[in-house]
Amino acid sequence: MSASMDNLSSDGRTLWGEAWRRLRRNRLAMICLWIVGFYTVLALYGEGVYRWHQWRDITPSYQRANLDKQYLEPSPLRQPFAAERVDSQTGETVVLSGWSRLRSGMSNLLTHPMGTDGLGRDVFQRLVQGTRIAYQVGIITSLIAIPIGVLLGCLAGYFGGRTDDFIVWLYSTFAAIPGLLFILAIAMVVGQGLLGVYLGIGLTMWVGLCRLIRGEVIKHKDRPYVTAAHALGVGHTRIIFRHILPNVFHVVIVTFTLRFPAAIGTEVFLSFLGIGVQGEPSWGIMISNARLRLWHGVWWEMAFVTAAIFFIVLAFNLLGDALRDALDPRLREGGESS
Amino acid sequence: MSESLLEVRDLRVYFGSRERPVRAVDGVSFDMREGETVALVGESGCGKSVTAMALSRLVPEPPGFYAGGEVLYRDQHVLQLDERSLRDIRGNEISYIFQDPGASLNPVFRIGYQIREAIQLHRPDDDAEHEVLELMQMVGMSDPQRAARAYPHELSGGMQQRAMIAMALACRPRVLIADEPTTALDVTIQAQILELLVKLQAELGMAMLLITHNLGLVAGVAHHVNVMYAGRIVESGETVDVLTRPRHPYTAGLLKAVPRLQGGDERLVGLEGTVPNPAGWPEGCRFAPRCPMRQPRCEAEDPPANRIAQGRYSRCHFWEQLNP
Repeated sequence: MSASMDNLSSDGRTLWGEAWRRLRRNRLAMICLWIVGFYTVLALYGEGVYRWHQWRDITPSYQRANLDKQYLEPSPLRQPFAAERVDSQTGETVVLSGWSRLRSGMSNLLTHPMGTDGLGRDVFQRLVQGTRIAYQVGIITSLIAIPIGVLLGCLAGYFGGRTDDFIVWLYSTFAAIPGLLFILAIAMVVGQGLLGVYLGIGLTMWVGLCRLIRGEVIKHKDRPYVTAAHALGVGHTRIIFRHILPNVFHVVIVTFTLRFPAAIGTEVFLSFLGIGVQGEPSWGIMISNARLRLWHGVWWEMAFVTAAIFFIVLAFNLLGDALRDALDPRLREGGESS
Repeated sequence: MSESLLEVRDLRVYFGSRERPVRAVDGVSFDMREGETVALVGESGCGKSVTAMALSRLVPEPPGFYAGGEVLYRDQHVLQLDERSLRDIRGNEISYIFQDPGASLNPVFRIGYQIREAIQLHRPDDDAEHEVLELMQMVGMSDPQRAARAYPHELSGGMQQRAMIAMALACRPRVLIADEPTTALDVTIQAQILELLVKLQAELGMAMLLITHNLGLVAGVAHHVNVMYAGRIVESGETVDVLTRPRHPYTAGLLKAVPRLQGGDERLVGLEGTVPNPAGWPEGCRFAPRCPMRQPRCEAEDPPANRIAQGRYSRCHFWEQLNP
């Protein structure tokens, strides 16, 4: 390994490759990356299930009430390998042994591994759908917030003066509106549901990014390389987006990884309050439902959803920190003198 | 040879508010002819770099503003041009090389990409790929293929400055402005870079404005020297003439401060004090507070640019007493 590393001359590697190499050396970051990858696979699987049901035009099982199976415990607690089983057709008790006992045990383990909720719906399937919704919210709000934040931040930082005054005024105004109130207002206008969540979160989330980008651009616009670009006859637009932006783009990536879980958290909160997702199993709705029977010992829905949120938020935050370290231009080998 | 390519007339570049400006460049005039090397020499803070930046209107506005004078480049009033025409001149007709090559190259792009951009900005149709390597060879970069793939921080200071020169020369400018091109480099590299600049200047027939704080650097390079002090040119003339027979006490002082190899055991004489603050230049002669031959008249009366001979000026009341 080390021999092959020595053979690689430094000029063969891109700066992104360099950052990736640094990230890979960070063990915790790699674990977080695997966790994020796992969630992504779950979300994609959920998307597949959702699309398939939509295409076949049937109500998916995680949406259908099945009152025979209310409040089933997670499968490991239901004695899946029990030697006796009640036959569902005849009502007789059947004694199992050997292979058939193992086989029925395995299949018992796989049915409702996380139990069912008050309407007999599979908690695991609903959790997967919740992951899908969370990813949707995270990605779409970022698609709204990042272009606004980057564009306004660049303009404010680069041109300064009145442009800067106006943009700072704009984001201060946005930041001054209590987030929840703003989202409620938007939900009033566009109606409850995911669209309101997307717009509400997306239109408040750009503020932090805008502020960061503005600060970075102000730092960079007086650097000699920008003056040198001016002296070569490069226009303002090109200087902003082709010369300065690539130098501050790590801010965008780090902000994205830190804002993604924040958006998920906000969605959960909104859905919990009932002004978010409607008619689909989001994590917020699941928590809201689970709290009803929590004191009667139905702990599993609450526990699994909370754990799912906990791990994704933790993984993204730790990953964001590690990315910041890996992408920080000051840490680049032989970095620029600033 | 006789016609001026670039003419600077009474250029004034101020900073800050119009009521109480900081007069960084305060009435600078000089010419540059085709193929000529002109040096602009002075201490830090005397306005050399601001003068250089003003030649293609690069001083950021605000905080700076052009309070007067003009820059004529081939009969165009540069300071009155719109942004578009300025961009056509910058890099294409008037190019710059800056002091710190490490910081003047964009840290996130490969050298080859940056040189190609410099070419394509003004000549979008060129076969840039080929020309990049040609330019890199021209400025003496060994193994250009490999250097083109390197990031700025992977090159030495000398190589970085060569890359900057390649970018500046990408469009074959008529005027090259080298703003302390060797200050940030090792002494051995300094000579190489200076030699390269002189060679390229002769090859390409461009005019070069060499800005430096080191009078010793000027000797073998420039045809004409302008010595700047406190926002003004205090002495101007043919290089040999100025270096051997300075007609301003400031130039004389600078020359005494240059170390010489054959100097024997003479002591180096430094100039007393520092350049005054441009927010409030002294009344009368601006050099008076530091001048060894100061007279009462100096503090009262601002010396004009006294003409000594064709192209030879001194802003000293008593120039005749110096090296008569």
